[in-house]
Amino acid sequence: MDSAHVLKACFLLIPAILLGVLVFSSWRWRARLPAAVVLGLVLAFGISAWVPGIMDYLVSFCIMATIYAVLSLGLNAQWGYNGHLDFGIAGFFAVGAFTMALFVTAPPSGLMAAYAQQWFGLNTPFLIGMAAAGIMSGVVGYLIAQPILHLRTDFLAIATLGIAEIIRLIFQNERWLANGPQPLSGIPQPLSCLSDSSGCSWLPAGVNHLFSTLQPRDYGYVYLVVVTVTLAVVYVVLEALVRSPWGRALRAVRDEEASAAMSGKPVKSLRVQSFVLGAVIIGVAGALYAPYMVTIDYSHFKPLFATFLVWVMLMLGGSGNNKGAILGAFVIWAVWSGTGFVTDMLATELQGIAPDLASRMSFLRWAFVGLLLAGIVLYRPQGILPEKKRVSRFLKGVPED
Amino acid sequence: MPLLKVDAVTAGYGDTEILRGLSIRVEPHEVVSIIGPNGAGKSTLMKTIFGLLHPREGSITFDGQDITHFAPHRIVRQGMCYVPQVANVFTTLTVEENLEMGAFPLGKADLTESKDRVYAMFPKLRQRRRQLAGKMSGGERQMVAMGSALMLNPKLLLLDEPTAALSPKLVDEIFGRIARISETGISVLMVEQNARQSLNMADRGYVLASGENRHEGTGKELLEDPNVGRLYLGG
Amino acid sequence: MVDSRQAVTDAVPDLAAAVEARDEEGMRSSRFVGAVLLLVLIAMWVAGWLSGTSAEQMLSLTVWGVMLGGIIALGGIGLTLCYGVLKFPNFAHGEFLTLGAYVTYGVVLVLPQSNPIWRFSFGWELIAGLLVSAVVTAIVAIILDHFLYRPLRKHMSPLVLLAMASLGMEFLLRGAVYLIWGSDFHFYYSGRSNPALQLPFGLRIQADQFFVFALAVILVATMYWMLTRTRIGKAMRASADNPDLAQVRGINTEQVIAWTWIIGAAMAAVGGAMYGLASQLRPDMGFVLLLPLFAAVIMGGIGSAWGALVGSVIIGVAMQLTSAFMNPAYGPAVAFVLMVLVLLMRPQGLFVQR
Repeated sequence: MDSAHVLKACFLLIPAILLGVLVFSSWRWRARLPAAVVLGLVLAFGISAWVPGIMDYLVSFCIMATIYAVLSLGLNAQWGYNGHLDFGIAGFFAVGAFTMALFVTAPPSGLMAAYAQQWFGLNTPFLIGMAAAGIMSGVVGYLIAQPILHLRTDFLAIATLGIAEIIRLIFQNERWLANGPQPLSGIPQPLSCLSDSSGCSWLPAGVNHLFSTLQPRDYGYVYLVVVTVTLAVVYVVLEALVRSPWGRALRAVRDEEASAAMSGKPVKSLRVQSFVLGAVIIGVAGALYAPYMVTIDYSHFKPLFATFLVWVMLMLGGSGNNKGAILGAFVIWAVWSGTGFVTDMLATELQGIAPDLASRMSFLRWAFVGLLLAGIVLYRPQGILPEKKRVSRFLKGVPED
Repeated sequence: MPLLKVDAVTAGYGDTEILRGLSIRVEPHEVVSIIGPNGAGKSTLMKTIFGLLHPREGSITFDGQDITHFAPHRIVRQGMCYVPQVANVFTTLTVEENLEMGAFPLGKADLTESKDRVYAMFPKLRQRRRQLAGKMSGGERQMVAMGSALMLNPKLLLLDEPTAALSPKLVDEIFGRIARISETGISVLMVEQNARQSLNMADRGYVLASGENRHEGTGKELLEDPNVGRLYLGG
Repeated sequence: MVDSRQAVTDAVPDLAAAVEARDEEGMRSSRFVGAVLLLVLIAMWVAGWLSGTSAEQMLSLTVWGVMLGGIIALGGIGLTLCYGVLKFPNFAHGEFLTLGAYVTYGVVLVLPQSNPIWRFSFGWELIAGLLVSAVVTAIVAIILDHFLYRPLRKHMSPLVLLAMASLGMEFLLRGAVYLIWGSDFHFYYSGRSNPALQLPFGLRIQADQFFVFALAVILVATMYWMLTRTRIGKAMRASADNPDLAQVRGINTEQVIAWTWIIGAAMAAVGGAMYGLASQLRPDMGFVLLLPLFAAVIMGGIGSAWGALVGSVIIGVAMQLTSAFMNPAYGPAVAFVLMVLVLLMRPQGLFVQR
């Protein structure tokens, strides 16, 4: 392994160790940390040595899967904890992504100003942009929650679906806002200087020399660290909330709303809080998405990719379970990417025979994912990792509502 | 041979058991009343007999036919009709349409005859036949519910708390109607909160508690039994 | 639940009306909501006129809105029936429209083209296409119910799972349409003229639009007749009203459910084809109409066919009127806002009590 490979493996070390910490979460810390480090070393260096060729692909796969994992965690905060049927994830995702974009880009100047418009461009650092994205998404979530959160579950689903579509329409049609329908481009990537040839201006020359073997196309390794750290923070926060009195109150409201109300739990504000929390997390996922794509437009936030896929992930992984959310994200993203390969192959095969059909092969994945969700709902609605019920063991078999 | 025989039935929701090895019977042309405290399983018993709930153990026989696992619409065709306690009319349908739904299994020709028969029993309904059932008062709704159940001229009528939430005057009226219905030869099995009055007009009664048959006897016997009186008849 | 209000109502019949009024639990009466909606439409009219559109054009938009309402009603009536009887929102209902439109297109392509009927732009092959697509879409609906929704019903699955499953079916059906017919837009007949009929008040309606509207009215009237006069229609309304009681009364609910799917899907198929005739065929046409469909159904009250019709016309007119001063792409947003407005005032909808 040459020095470039070693460097990349070092970057992989952080996500790998975090993975280890997650996997061994049932162990005590004294055993957990060393085990995680060992697992991390094995994964990071083992994989780099064994299959250097597909490393780059694995990295981009993991980045997208991690972003989807954050989305799943956000949905879990809404659906898993409090039973909100949110079919409008795409809306919060878009708000987060575009807010991030507007905050971290500079306003178009010179020649570009003739072609691109945006409402503002503050050129702020990455973290400020991410905070803004989360806050904006949370605010939108709060505003939406006021008139519709008290509705029946199925009305909420319809309403959130509608709102996501309206948000998408706004980004598509309002030129002044984010250059719609044209893409908003030039979104700067955090820590991209690490992979640039010139190095980071704020690092000493010696450190810059360490990173000099990185090419710009290796930026993914840097960004993978960024997204996995974000995922880890979100996960830790959520897990802490689940175990807190607030989390217990949420579950009480979800399962037995009438008795929770009678115990004095502020039902309405709890429901709003969980909804807004989910919206914030989904917005943060959007903030991760925008710099990775560098260029975003309204078509990235269509219901299939940005809402439906997340639902499949959470339902497969296990709703009510944060680890399940992350697991589901990775599995379904693998399935999605895998079917992408299959349809590409089919397309090339069919090119000679039926070129019309070949160009439409990608839609086979739509049908497949639809069937997949139907299968999950029919055969294993609780998902792979079901929710750990912390209900009294004296209660068995309560009659269905 | 009894018309209805519930034999050592155990039933409940999910993992809970509400009825435990319960046995009751209804003879032809009888009025049987089931009383007992809340949670005793009275409604559960009704639902189990009518096929809305499946018993885990035991059997239910009606007119010689084993109906233990029959679905409700098959039981209706056997000649048993059920009036639930709540939500017992179609609120967005008219009175006449409600009655027609009661006779759904019949063909068209028989409908007028059945309707006339029911209107004869409840003349007030004929006046209000085009009114929406949802707009009627509690007592009138109860009449629509019972009338619908009688459209098929069943052999056995199951009534789940027919006088619940009705004023005392209406309670008397309903019991009067039940008496008249039984005079036409239809057997009646009813679950009642109004224990005293229902036992008064019943041929036989059962006292249910915790899913079990605690006392059994004729209406008069149960009324005079001091144990029953103290616990269930409010002194 | 001791209902002391009922006791009072029994005792003093004269007060019944007064009690009823308060009985709404703070929810507004239908008449109030209807008045608000009428005011909103008038406000839209005024806004359009103020923005520079002539009164004649506003009138045309209104008329076209009524016709759009007819198309939406064809889908909406099926959706409200399915929603009422099956108790879950069928997110795939829009795809019945899309499928109907495309199957009709397929039939039209296959059959030899005939001369246009009267002054319409289409010939008999379109009528044949309508019939075939109604049948095909009904079959698809029955298959979906048999393999997906019925097993879930048997398991007593919570309704949210059925809603989720239907969302999955939305993508399955849309993917199928993309696969079979591609993502291009199509027209039933390209290059055929569609002359306008002159009507009083300077109104001009295309013959096709008139056909669409007339067909919608006929089908809605037939639907209404079926629901109020036939045994199966009343059983459908009864099942929508109270499925448990329907079972108790001996109604074979599975049979009723099957007929609900058949009628709902067939109507939607015709509606979709009409939409395709009036505008164009696009693979996402059903999805674009999904929000207006739900808005109309919820406004009218779930389970009420009449409510779906009225709701659809209101939505259709509103969508058209606002296009005079807003980007027409925001049509679904208008439908959505109206829906939320009604939900805030009267969640059960205009024509449903409770």
